[in-house]
Amino acid sequence: MAGPPRSRDTVSGFLDFASRRNKKFGVRVVGVKEGIAYPALLPSSCQDRTNLISSRFSLRAQLSQPWTTQSRTYMARHRRDFIKWTRGPGKLLKEPRPDQTNYLETKDSKGNMLKRPFPLNPEFKSEAVLDDKAREMIWEEVMRKGKTIKQVSAELGVDITRVAAIVRLKEVEKDWISKGKKLATPYCKAILSMVPTKSFKSAEQQNVPFEPINELHIHASTMKQIFWPTSESRHFTRADAAKAFHKDMLPADERVPHPELLQMEKSLLEGKSVWEAKAEFMDAAEKSERNAAERQMRRAMAEDSATRKFNTERFEFRFKEFNSEDVGRDGRRKKAVGWKYGMPSYDRMKGAIKIPTKVPQIGWS
Amino acid sequence: MTLKIRLARFGRRNAPFYNIVVAHARTARNSKPLEVIGTYDPKPRADAYDDSGRLHKEINLDSIRAKYWIGVGAQPTDSMWRLLSMVGIMEPKYRDTKPRKPLELPPDAKEFATNI
Repeated sequence: MAGPPRSRDTVSGFLDFASRRNKKFGVRVVGVKEGIAYPALLPSSCQDRTNLISSRFSLRAQLSQPWTTQSRTYMARHRRDFIKWTRGPGKLLKEPRPDQTNYLETKDSKGNMLKRPFPLNPEFKSEAVLDDKAREMIWEEVMRKGKTIKQVSAELGVDITRVAAIVRLKEVEKDWISKGKKLATPYCKAILSMVPTKSFKSAEQQNVPFEPINELHIHASTMKQIFWPTSESRHFTRADAAKAFHKDMLPADERVPHPELLQMEKSLLEGKSVWEAKAEFMDAAEKSERNAAERQMRRAMAEDSATRKFNTERFEFRFKEFNSEDVGRDGRRKKAVGWKYGMPSYDRMKGAIKIPTKVPQIGWS
Repeated sequence: MTLKIRLARFGRRNAPFYNIVVAHARTARNSKPLEVIGTYDPKPRADAYDDSGRLHKEINLDSIRAKYWIGVGAQPTDSMWRLLSMVGIMEPKYRDTKPRKPLELPPDAKEFATNI
């Protein structure tokens, strides 16, 4: 009868139980073990123990429940405290609050109330996302009213790439709806009801910008420190600074996403009226977008004309011309086509990101 | 030694990719060739935003070098012959793509066949 080890409480509980049983059945067990009678000479504590053992054997058949008790579940103090907390102040956090965030609320050292998903991490800020109404509005502005992406971006204060992405995804959404595909609307609703959202009044009204839109991206060539000797009398502009970094580098004013906005501010400083400056900006934005579209078109056409196509029943074979002599001294130039000899291919390198970083354009093959 | 214009298989399992190479006939398939004159991607691909189901294959080829090597006696393999004939560098080897009919046997041969 080697049972599992018992804690002291369990043994005493067992003793009580056994003695109760004995009384019930009118059995007085003293110094009896496996049918052998012992004189009651043992000290009291030992006697108890003998009592226990003998009763175990004699009563075993009479008891219906097995001779083991469940081990007590271990619960650390932190866990106990946590469970206590979930019944107290944490109760509010169990369910999301409809149409607002439900973050932990704590106070900082100055006593200000903080509302952050992780109060101890000041770097983790929950940024607002555009709600569906705002996204629908952006799509309307671009696709229905025919505004350029730059114009919409400047009017609403939404990043150019975000505007483009919203339009693209809205197009996909509308395509799915027209095809009768099912959308994950409950999921979208649930998420949007839990995160901070941003909405716009209308494009005609003055809106609080959603995010900074004219930030200068850090170019790797500008990360070095240069000591550039120049005469004091020289008027050293930003264009000169860009040239100092690299001969092909554009000045910061032209590298920002919205150089037209800078021009608008300059016109305002020159004393032009707001309406005039805005009209100028709208024209410039439209022109820049048209130029970009034309460039893309020309590139696609040039590529198309440089490709010889041969149709078979199943496939089209596209032949592109390539200069096999322009492959570097050892034939391993990066631009050269084909797999290189004696060079590792890093296509299976660990950690290599294979998610495409560009959206394919029409005409690309 | 015989010069060949042939394909050298690179790429991965289930993702073949070929270099079009000029090499001596007796050298190993993927050994360093005399010259790489192009590539052939045999995986049919669709154009972006094209749902018509029409697929294409992409080939890079230095046709000037291909013509030169053929001029000095390089022999394209059958698969390379087929590709080169598409751009007019070679005469097509197999014009007739219809399935062949079995040969019409002479009458005595038929008799011989039935008697066996």
